[in-house]
Amino acid sequence: MKKIFVHALAMVALTSVVKAEDGTSLSTLASSISELRSVVAELSKTVQQQQGELSSLRAENVALKQKAEKAEVASTAGSVQVAPPAPQRTLGQFNPDIGIVADITGLSSESSEDEEGNDRISAREVELVIGHDVDPYTRLDTTITFSDFEDVTLEEAYITRWGLPLDSSARFGRFRPKVGISSAVHRDQLDTADQPLVIQRYFGVEGLYKSGLELSGFVPSPFSSDESVTHQLFAGVVEGGIGEEGTLFGETRRRLSYYGRLRNFWEVSDYSDLSLGGTYMIGSSDEDSGYEVGVLGLDLVGQHHFNSTNKLKIQSEFYLQDRDAPYIEVSEHGEIEESEPMAGSPYRSGPWGMYALADYRLSESFALGGRYDYVKLVNISEDDTRSADQGWSAYLTYYQSEFARWRAQFEHLEFASGDEDNRVFLQGTFAIGVHKHSLN
Amino acid sequence: MKIRIVLLILAVVSSASAEQPLRVVTTLTTFASLVKEIGGEQVSVQSVASPNFNPHFIEAKPSDVLRVKKADLFVHGGLDLEAWRDPLVNAAGNVNVRSGAKGELALSNGIRLLQVPDRAVSRAEGDIHLFGNPHYYIDPRAGLVMAQSIASKLIELRPDSREYFSTRLREFEERLGQAMIRWRAAAAKTTGIRLVGYHNEWVYLVDFLGAEMSQFLEPKPGIPPSPQHVEKLLRYIKEQGVTAIVQSSYFPDDVGRKLSADGAVPLLLLCQNVGEAPECSDFIGLVDFNITSIARLVSQ
Repeated sequence: MKKIFVHALAMVALTSVVKAEDGTSLSTLASSISELRSVVAELSKTVQQQQGELSSLRAENVALKQKAEKAEVASTAGSVQVAPPAPQRTLGQFNPDIGIVADITGLSSESSEDEEGNDRISAREVELVIGHDVDPYTRLDTTITFSDFEDVTLEEAYITRWGLPLDSSARFGRFRPKVGISSAVHRDQLDTADQPLVIQRYFGVEGLYKSGLELSGFVPSPFSSDESVTHQLFAGVVEGGIGEEGTLFGETRRRLSYYGRLRNFWEVSDYSDLSLGGTYMIGSSDEDSGYEVGVLGLDLVGQHHFNSTNKLKIQSEFYLQDRDAPYIEVSEHGEIEESEPMAGSPYRSGPWGMYALADYRLSESFALGGRYDYVKLVNISEDDTRSADQGWSAYLTYYQSEFARWRAQFEHLEFASGDEDNRVFLQGTFAIGVHKHSLN
Repeated sequence: MKIRIVLLILAVVSSASAEQPLRVVTTLTTFASLVKEIGGEQVSVQSVASPNFNPHFIEAKPSDVLRVKKADLFVHGGLDLEAWRDPLVNAAGNVNVRSGAKGELALSNGIRLLQVPDRAVSRAEGDIHLFGNPHYYIDPRAGLVMAQSIASKLIELRPDSREYFSTRLREFEERLGQAMIRWRAAAAKTTGIRLVGYHNEWVYLVDFLGAEMSQFLEPKPGIPPSPQHVEKLLRYIKEQGVTAIVQSSYFPDDVGRKLSADGAVPLLLLCQNVGEAPECSDFIGLVDFNITSIARLVSQ
């Protein structure tokens, strides 16, 4: 049956060809042949062209082989690597990243006090920075600080845990809480040789670093469908107490402090961006379980690159306290010293402070800047002749290389007590090893 | 009826997810351009470093952190060019694009690296690179290797689109092959010419051109030029018959311009990355611009 069907089909096909031949004139056939000739000519041209390309590629290949041979010879002499370097599989790869950042500062001051580095050159801070991934979800970072006038301090030792619900991350351990801008960064990351006065007076001369837990994540932006506008939320709880010489909270570490921060960032263009932040933190001024102190912080950073080198940065922070108690100083042994501020001391219920900084990168090597400071102190002294500590600074930074920086800074200070001081800093900051501070 | 509704919903959901482009973030614009070249409409690409800034010193912003956080694929140079890369990935906390994860691609794989140190190095030599010169992405020969790596990764992430990515790779290969003939012809003219660079970032191009570049405006990598060094360079330019001074646009050009005027050699501002100049709108355009700018000087 199948065979019959195939034969029938063949017959039909043959008949139709014969019919077509009958109907085709010689002239049509000639034109078809001419068309075919032109196609063949075109094809030969293409083949010729491709043959040319092929021989060029062959020649190239030969040249490359010769070059590779030469390079191989050279690589044995150590100048060229012709193949990707073989991965060195040693246990040393699991060693953590280690870096050292040294902050060597000379300070000339009119102050008669023999305090932190006055009238001498000091190794103010030498940070030993160690960090590495623990596993795919966790990283451990530590910063141990040495100084030639203070004990060794564990400034940071925290894990970062990624991949938490709602795309959030957590830091757990001892770290710099994301409270404002300046307090949250290391001194070597500042634009000036010292922390702004408001940070020094409220949070401590080096800012705040405490043990606790912090959660962070991005929230969707109602203003932008892409990522050019971001809103980052931070919420944390840290041990009580405050940084060295800070007066915001009391000294009791078991009375926890809580904070929340929203940082809004707007990437205006490749050249400009703006960041506006708000922070609220509450804590205790004494041993009881009440929370007598709240502080609201607002911060602003605007940056504009005029070109790849010249950049202007404007930065300001403002802090307003709401407190029901004075700052009470406690000795190292936990006793309230009579000569120091105590429970009955007069205080301001709403002290505030701010600073404004401008930094201009003049060239690859130099930056110029200035800062204005104003801060109302928490406790009021009968001897005060001014309502606040205030001052201004001017500085010149010389970037010797990516890993070495020099800074000369003049600072004029007027204290609430009526005293004044003029200081000159000469700061050198040097980094060796693997030095990777986290992003702010 | 219920089954039909369920099937309809499934169809809508699956078609929606199939149309959703892969979110790719790259460190450099050149990598972004290559990803777009191969990924076409199936990828949406953003890059962190603007081509107008030195890729060594990028300050990653919160917007970059969020982009990497949302990325399906993070493409980078693999070596130590982007020192800001690890802090950025750490801040983003996207475990799918961390080192070794499926959504990470280091484009240095398979690249023939130059200037790999064969001895212990230290910062006394400046901002030296441990794994070899990381500026391989301007090498005409690296284009194909990078494109193939990208295609393999995209196919791994989206196997259903294998044919689409393979076709686009073949098309790119064809265009690259044609361009390579032009570049080889130009390179034949530039063999043996002497160039001076601002930073040691042209070694792959110079190698392709058979040219020589042993002197730089930076006395050591990452160290800005000093007057004494510039004086020494001027003598070198005059004595050695240098054809041109070459630098990327993100380095200050004042010293280069002065040296160019004093030494009577042209200063060429070439592209290190896609988008750095209007002519460098994609990888082939970038290589075209760089090579023809140099070859033109030889032809004159």
